[in-house]
Amino acid sequence: MGDQAQILPGTLDVLILKAVSLGALHGYGILLRIAQISGSSLLIEQGALYPALFRLVRQGLLKASWGTSENNRRAKFYELTAAGRKRLHSEIEGWNRLAKAMAAALSARQEEI
Amino acid sequence: MSLYSYLRSGAERVFRPAAIGDEMDEELAVHLALRADDLERSGLPRAEAERRARIEFGARERYREECKDAKGGTSLVTVFHDLRFGLRMIRSHGWFSPAVIVTLALGIGLNTMVFTLINAALFKPVPLPGGARLVAVASRTPGNGDDLLSYPDLVDYRAQAHSFAALEAASIEQGVLGEPGNPPQVYHLARTTTGVFSMVQMHPVMGRDFLSSDSSSGAASVVMIGYDLWQNRYAASSAVIGRHVRVNGHPATIIGVMPKGFKFPTAIDLWMPLVPTPDDLRRDNRELQVFGLLKPGVQPSAAQAELAGIAQRLATEYPDSDKNFAALAMSFNERYNGGGIKTVFLLMLGSVGFVLLIACANVANMMLSRGIMRQREMSIRAALGASRWRVMRQLLMESVLLSVMGGALGLALAAAGVRWFDLATADVGRPYWVQFTMDYTVFGYFAALCILTGLLFGTLPAWRASRPNLNQVLQEGGRGVGYHRDGKLAGVLVVFQFALTLVLLTGAGVFVHSLLKTLDSNREVPSRQLMVAGLKLPEDRYKDIAARVRFYDQLLPRLRALPGVTSAALASNPPGLGSAENPAEIENQPASDPAHRPVVSYVTASPGYFETIHLPLLLGRDFSASDGDRNHRAAIVTRETAQRFWPGQQALGKRFCLFDDKGNRGDWITVVGVVANLEQDLTEQNPKPLLFVPIQQEDWDGTSLVVASDANPTAEVRGAVQSLDEDLPLHDVYILNQAVEHQTWYLRLFSRLFMGFALIALVMAAVGIYAVLAQAAGRRTQEIGIRIALGASLRSIMLLVMRRGIRQIAIGLALGMAAAFPVARLMASLPIGVSPTDPEVFIAVATLLVLVGLVACWLPARRAAGLDPVRAIRYE
Repeated sequence: MGDQAQILPGTLDVLILKAVSLGALHGYGILLRIAQISGSSLLIEQGALYPALFRLVRQGLLKASWGTSENNRRAKFYELTAAGRKRLHSEIEGWNRLAKAMAAALSARQEEI
Repeated sequence: MSLYSYLRSGAERVFRPAAIGDEMDEELAVHLALRADDLERSGLPRAEAERRARIEFGARERYREECKDAKGGTSLVTVFHDLRFGLRMIRSHGWFSPAVIVTLALGIGLNTMVFTLINAALFKPVPLPGGARLVAVASRTPGNGDDLLSYPDLVDYRAQAHSFAALEAASIEQGVLGEPGNPPQVYHLARTTTGVFSMVQMHPVMGRDFLSSDSSSGAASVVMIGYDLWQNRYAASSAVIGRHVRVNGHPATIIGVMPKGFKFPTAIDLWMPLVPTPDDLRRDNRELQVFGLLKPGVQPSAAQAELAGIAQRLATEYPDSDKNFAALAMSFNERYNGGGIKTVFLLMLGSVGFVLLIACANVANMMLSRGIMRQREMSIRAALGASRWRVMRQLLMESVLLSVMGGALGLALAAAGVRWFDLATADVGRPYWVQFTMDYTVFGYFAALCILTGLLFGTLPAWRASRPNLNQVLQEGGRGVGYHRDGKLAGVLVVFQFALTLVLLTGAGVFVHSLLKTLDSNREVPSRQLMVAGLKLPEDRYKDIAARVRFYDQLLPRLRALPGVTSAALASNPPGLGSAENPAEIENQPASDPAHRPVVSYVTASPGYFETIHLPLLLGRDFSASDGDRNHRAAIVTRETAQRFWPGQQALGKRFCLFDDKGNRGDWITVVGVVANLEQDLTEQNPKPLLFVPIQQEDWDGTSLVVASDANPTAEVRGAVQSLDEDLPLHDVYILNQAVEHQTWYLRLFSRLFMGFALIALVMAAVGIYAVLAQAAGRRTQEIGIRIALGASLRSIMLLVMRRGIRQIAIGLALGMAAAFPVARLMASLPIGVSPTDPEVFIAVATLLVLVGLVACWLPARRAAGLDPVRAIRYE
């Protein structure tokens, strides 16, 4: 577990949006998807997912409906709303800018100054 | 999130909390099941897989709560929870809640009632179209108050003032309406400028409006009648239009009927166009009430400034008549409900404010003592992590709930009180547009009052209760903790209550004292057997005093001959119903300065008057038919007057003279008799020396009949008068005791009101001190039991309980007295007819308060002294 990173505060929402943008998922599925797309390198306590999900639904970024899971359990599935998709794009752009800036800043060497 | 979804989610959580919880639990359960499925597939046994899944999930309860919060609508939910919890607490507290609610109902109800009255009498605009722009215009001279204007003034103001869309005037007098076959009746008549109805946008329901040509000299005389008059005198007949009648003896034609309830400007039944006579055109003949409708957007202050400028110009132009005259524009309420009425209303507001404060102090005390009992509950909530604000909010919610419930009950009380006041003052000449009804302003005031009251009595106890000393309370089981601290606070509130109650009782006492004094006056006069009625002999038919005396001489024998009548006489004012006042000079005692001449009050009387009213003649003789002519000016004085002007001397044969309104000296008048004392001006604070003169000695056009009879002789008396002159109505017909009651209506009314306020306050204060002492004694049950068991005497136990209460009463009494003296002095100085206060009022009031307070202290003390020591010691 040593190579897993605690996620930064505020990043859970964008991870959920990203995970759901690839197709409707139930809560547990979202966790699996995040693990899959992050190469299992981000640590999320499982229970913490749900308050975030409720919050995103309240904000109108996700919508929820009940359906049947792959192993035949009744589960609640989440998918992006139009507002959610828009939010995801702006969040991604913001992250990329930040990451680029951070990368540039942190890789600065003596001779470049 | 939109407000809608917030509210929906809040509402969902309020009304379907279980459903929300179920759905959330199901979702979390599915998560655990799915995870367990995965773990099972990787080879764990099912039970172990489920255990692992729960561990990996983390603190499930915490996440559930977080989910609830994340779903939104929380603050609405906590408010609702507070509300529901508050209601449950209110229901579960037995006697406590009804006591609080009734106390608050009285406090809030009285305040709402008085505010309704004040709003109607002092603030609400006249309920007519454009009523908010309607102002009264009055002239003002230094030292003389607000007064009337002359016709030439009106013409000048109309020509020069630009602030007004209309300026109209009315001169108000008595109007006798008569016609063949219909007995004459006296009404309030307004002679108005012809535009008065269109100024207030009111038009006759039948017939035509005044035309401007109606006011030109020589125009046919027309009269407009009021709706009530039309209903009562003419039975709502439509044939009334065009009917020929006589108004004050002059022929006139009815041209219209005004709408129901319209009595502009004050209480008018008849309107006639003002046709200015040469007398009216004199600038110093001021007889007009003037009203203006401001142009839209013009402020009253601007109109006022403009009028002031015009008045100044007029003063320079006509110094003889207009010097020192200023003009004022003011609201109808200021003009007609100013002065004494305003003061009394503000006194009422002050009083009920006191009552509300007492109510709040009382309820705060109850909350405080209950707060001590609930300390354990508060401590547990605080220990479980409730913030202080959360605990306080809960307690305040309870307070506001209580005050809203009290308010609802109070509103019913207020409505009943307003109705009662409306009926009680229906007949006392209040302007018709003062309508005592509740409206939105009142409800706004009421709502604010409920909430503020709740906060006022709730904040302090809530603050206290929300800050318990956790360790101590939880360890000691909540007994005795905070007793000393809160006991002090409760004591301060009790002292404060007693002081306020004393002030209120004093105020009531001043009114009641004045009332009792008037009721006690003139006991020898058989006022239940005396019928009185006013008679006004119009100048065009009775040119001079000789003509009038001829009429009186014919009338009196007829009255005395009526069946059941034992005697009949005439007087300008029957006993207790006022008098004329003028300065006098006593022979050989000239005043150094005309301003220092003694003022006397005097009444004209016919021979036989003193016998009729049973006033003993002490010295000399009654008037005779020959008294009063130029060579035989005569007077009969009261004993008090005789002692005042001729102390230690024989008053008979002494002479004095009167000065008329313009300061001209009259003839010398000789005293021919002395009668017992009589109180002629019941509402006067400093009655002047009273004397009587023969009826033919003063050139007055009216008098009152005073008829002594076993049965009510009104019909026969009216018949006798109209057998002599069929156009002569009686006015102000009363049995004398009713007339006196009518005269002193406001003393009665306000005595009752202030007594009511003071008694409510007294009961509240008594209940307050009782509750505090009973609580304190209750908390010391064990201690008292031990004392009794150890042999403490009954007396020492009673003293133990009562000591604190007695000290509080004493302090309250001292503080209250300090405040009550200035209040009583203030009331006596106001022009509201109350007499200066005697010390006996204070003594009576203080005694009453102390007695009630001691009884309230004694009850819990007696209970404590009667405790069974064995049970008391076990008491928890």
